Parts: sequence; structure tokens; C-alpha cells
Amino acid sequence: MNTLALLSGSLTLLGAIMVITRRVAVHAVLYLVVTLLALATVFALLGAPFAAVLEVIIYAGAIMVLFVFVIMMLNLGQPDREREKEWLRPRIWGGPALLSTILCAELIYSLSTLPQQTDSFSPLSARDVGLSLFGPYVLMVELVSFLLLAGLVTAFHIGRHRMENR
Amino acid sequence: MITHDLFLPLPLPILSLGTMLLLGSIAWHRSLTRSLAIGFFTLVLALGGLNYHLGSPQVEGASLFVHDRWGNYTALLILLSSLCILLMSWRDLHHDKTHPMDEYPLLLVLGTLGAITMVFSTNYLPFFLGVEIQALSLMGLVASRPYYFAQATEASMKYLILSGVSSAILLFGIGLAYATTGSLYFSPPPASPDNTIPAIATIMILVGVFFKLSAVPFHMWLPDVMEGSPPPVAAFMAVVSKIAIFSSLVRYFGTEETPVYLHGILFTVIILTILGGNILALRQTNLIRLLAYSSIAHVGYLLIAFFSPGQLRSEAITLYLAAYAASTLGIFAIICAFSWAENSNGSHIPKWKGLFYTRPFLATTLSLMLLSLAGIPPGIGFFAKFEVAATGVERQQTLLLATLVVGSIIGLYYYLYVIRTLMGAQNTPSLPVKEGHSPELTTLIVVLTLIVVVGGIFPARMIPQVLPSPTSPQNGLINDPVHEPENS
Repeated sequence: MNTLALLSGSLTLLGAIMVITRRVAVHAVLYLVVTLLALATVFALLGAPFAAVLEVIIYAGAIMVLFVFVIMMLNLGQPDREREKEWLRPRIWGGPALLSTILCAELIYSLSTLPQQTDSFSPLSARDVGLSLFGPYVLMVELVSFLLLAGLVTAFHIGRHRMENR
Repeated sequence: MITHDLFLPLPLPILSLGTMLLLGSIAWHRSLTRSLAIGFFTLVLALGGLNYHLGSPQVEGASLFVHDRWGNYTALLILLSSLCILLMSWRDLHHDKTHPMDEYPLLLVLGTLGAITMVFSTNYLPFFLGVEIQALSLMGLVASRPYYFAQATEASMKYLILSGVSSAILLFGIGLAYATTGSLYFSPPPASPDNTIPAIATIMILVGVFFKLSAVPFHMWLPDVMEGSPPPVAAFMAVVSKIAIFSSLVRYFGTEETPVYLHGILFTVIILTILGGNILALRQTNLIRLLAYSSIAHVGYLLIAFFSPGQLRSEAITLYLAAYAASTLGIFAIICAFSWAENSNGSHIPKWKGLFYTRPFLATTLSLMLLSLAGIPPGIGFFAKFEVAATGVERQQTLLLATLVVGSIIGLYYYLYVIRTLMGAQNTPSLPVKEGHSPELTTLIVVLTLIVVVGGIFPARMIPQVLPSPTSPQNGLINDPVHEPENS
């Protein structure tokens, strides 16, 4: 178990380093997906399956789609077909594919060695998380929304200047 | 329902509602004057709601927020400083008609919301969220400069990266603290000799806080970011965010003695901060950079008072925060009174030469503020520094007191250098003064000067008992917790 967690942790780190060293945004996004998947594995191995599932659904799923969408919207100019050919060379997707293969092997291995649990207890369900988020921590949810608002306004503010200064 | 669980001081919902109102107003029609007015009235209303709270306080440890005198006092300072900063930027914002900057008051109110959240929180969650709300809105504010946009974006980027690093360290510390105690209550985890994790957690949280306070090993970002940002935003960074994080630091360790394993670290950081801030300020030719280094040194003096819990600590911290805020805001208001030409940086000190002959009022007030920061009697800063030294004497911190004296002497040199430049013979064309008169800036400068001078003459009036003293907890003092001459 420990080796698996360490392996996933190092995959996360490796992916994160690759994210910040890529020059093309799409390549960075590919590595970011791998990073988030590896992080989800770490969560699952630490006994937080709900956090792992959220990580995959929200971060690796929804937010990545948003990233790709924004990148496609901003990169105007070049014709799409050439650009895609340029972006999707095997050299480019080879690295992320390799990392996710390792992750997949890890997943299959840990599934096959899973101890047979008869009483399927769930330590934390979506219902528990929801109840505590909208119960005692409802003010924190509101504060997080203000945090997102601050980020949104800041990003818009800086982006607007950039567009005007072109 | 859940409403009986809620407890929060009234300024928080007022600031949140003000933010929503601003958003709606901007979405409907962009108008800078209206946005600024809404921001202004939100801050004034929050000031009025300081003494009230929603819901009823819960048992110790269970609630997210607390409403006490210390929180009230620092929130008062923060709200008043934000009002001053809004007034300072009023004219600069109207100067540029082509880029209406409605986001500015919105982000200012949001940043104040973050600072107030930090001040009132007794739980890691609201504290961290407050830190992040403030950091993110400050990032937008730093980049809100119509000219010098490249420098402003660079400063904003630096701030983003360093604030991200410090938040990561802080969060790691919080995670370790939660792992040992299982509680998110805002106090250092109890350390034991056989378990070093609580000590590591406390040290990491302290390092994160020092990053935000820009104490010396972690100070590099502050002068660069302050130089790149517009002067009112630099004032926000030097005053509001420092008061907020310092208030949280005092709340975190409470009124008792700091843990023993931290003494060495605190000792080193205080000495480095005072000496480093003062020595680095010596060779500065840019007034804003000089103020940034001097604010680093002042954080060092404040940390002496923080490090010496005793009978005098509450008074010393209270007075010092007020003195520092009033003097620094005054200097920034005067900087804002000069025009910022498109191609020249108005904060270059040699350009202020001969100001006593061309603008005697501004030069006199600027000298008063600088003397107050240096700790010379006419200003409130003298009594503040005196009180800080008294706390050190009370706890026999000889080495720290020696550092305080050496730092003050070095500080005197560069503060007096600025005043000497102001008095210099006028042989160069002085700074262009903003055309027309700006009543709000004049009022602001007059009010702040009055606070600095009157506070220097009658300092006892400005000292409310806000922190219970450690040996005899007297919470039942009847005096008004927020009695301040600044209100008049």
C-alpha cells in the first residue's frame, strides 16, 4: 500500500513539473490531467474515496474541459487543422500516455489485491459532505464563493487590459 | 433549521451585501462615481455595524467566528484605512476617462472583506479563506494601473507566485495541525517532547504568517510589489493586510507566553527584521520602496511587543498599530496629491527637492508623518515606540531592546534624509502638482495630521484596553471598546 501511495505521489510531482515546463498550453493541460488523476489515486489510497471521485469528476473532468475550451477560444489565427496536427504529435502525447498507463496498471493491481470486504461500510458519503457543507459550514461556502468572485474579477480585469493593449 | 448555528459579526454580511450591490450596479451600467459611492457607503455602514453581530455566540471551540474587543479594534483600523484608501484613489481613478475602472472599488471592498474575515476568525477555515480572498483581490488591485501597465502586471505576477508559496506553507502547517489535534480551532497544537509534528505545524504556520507580514528572511517581495502598484494599493498592502495578519497572529498565540521551541526563531526573525528593514532602506531613492523597507522594520518593532507578553503589551500593540496606520496612510495620501506624469515616476526622492518653498503645507505634513514614523516626540509614533520599548523592559529582553535602539538610529538617518531633501534649495523644477484642488485629499491629510499630532500629545486617550492582560484577565472593563478620536 505504501509503495503504491509513494508511486502515485511521485507521478503527481512529475506531472506537475511537466505542466509548468511545457511551452504549449494544450501539452500542459495533458500533463495536468495526469497529475490530477494521480492525485485522485493518492486520495483513494489514503482512504478518502469521496475526495478521489470528486477530484476525477470535477477537476480532471469538468475543469479540464473548460481549460481546453478557453485555449481553443483564445488561440485564434492559425487554421485549426494545421494547429491540431502540430499539437498532436506522438512525441507530445507519449509522455502523458506513459504516465497514465503506469497509473492504470497501479489501479488494476490494487483492484486485484483488494481485500474482500463483506460489510461495505462507507466512511463518508456525499450526503454527509453535503449536510456538513450546508449545515455548520454554510458560511464557509459563502466565503468560498466570494473567493471565486475575487479571482474572477481579477482575471477579467487583467485580461481586459491585455485585450485593449493589443 | 441551521440559522441558530450561525454566528457572525455584522461587518461581514454588510461587506458581502455591498459587494453584491456593486456587482449588480456594474452589470447594469458602468459608472465609476456610483461604484465608488457604493463602496464608500458599504465601508461606512460596516463601520457602523462593528458593535453588532448576527446569531448568538457558541461555546468555545465550536464556532467559526468570535466577536471581541481585539477583533473590533483591528477591524475598526482596517475599515478606517480602507476608507482612506478609497478616498486617496478617487481622483486617480477619475483621471483616466477611457478605461473606467469599476472593478477597483469592488476589489477594494472584497479585500476589506477578506481582512475582516481574518480578524474575526477563530477557526483555520475562515482564516485561510480570508487570507486568500484578500490576496486575490489585492492581485487585481496591483494590476489596476492604466499607465505603467507592464510593471503593474509584473508586480502582480510576483505577488501571485510568492503569495501562493506562502499560502502553500501555511496550508501544510494547518494540515499537520489538524492531523495531530483533529480540530480546526485557531490555536497552536499542544506540543509534547516525544512528538515533533505539532511543533513543525506551528513553525510552518508561523513561516506562512511571516511571509505575509514580510518579516526579514521572507521580505523580498514587498518592495518590488509595492513599487509596481499604484500608491493607494501600496498603502493597502502596507497597512490593511499587515494589520489583518498581525491581528490573526496575536489571536493565534493568545495572550499567554509563546511556546518555548519558538523563542529562538522569533528572536532571530525580530533582530533580522529590524536590522534588515532599516539597513536596506538606507540607500533607497524611491519613496515607496523606502516606505516598504520602513514598514518591514516597523513589523519588527511590533513583533517585539508581540514577543513580550506582559501588562503593557495590549497598550503597546494597540497604540503602535494606530500610529503606524495613521502615519503611513498620511504619507501615501501626500504621495497621491502629486500628479503622476505618464513618463516619470513621482516617488523618486530627489524630485521632491525644495518642496518646503513650493508647497509648504504638504511638506510640513509629510515631515510630521516621517518624524512620527521615526519616533520623534511631536508625532504619535514616539509614544508607540516608547510603549514597545516598555514591554521589552518589562520582560528583560535586553538584546531586542538594543536592536530596537540601533534600528531606530539607522531609521532616523533615512527619514531625516527625506526631510532634508524637502528643505533643499530649489534649483530643480519640483514635482508637478495636480491641477485643480482635490478637497478629499486635503481633508484626508488634515485629519491624519491631526490624529498624528493630537495622538502624540494625548496618547492615553487613544489606548482602549483591547487585549486581556495575561496574568490578570480583566474582561469586565467598562470602557468603550472602540472609542477612538478618529471617529470624530
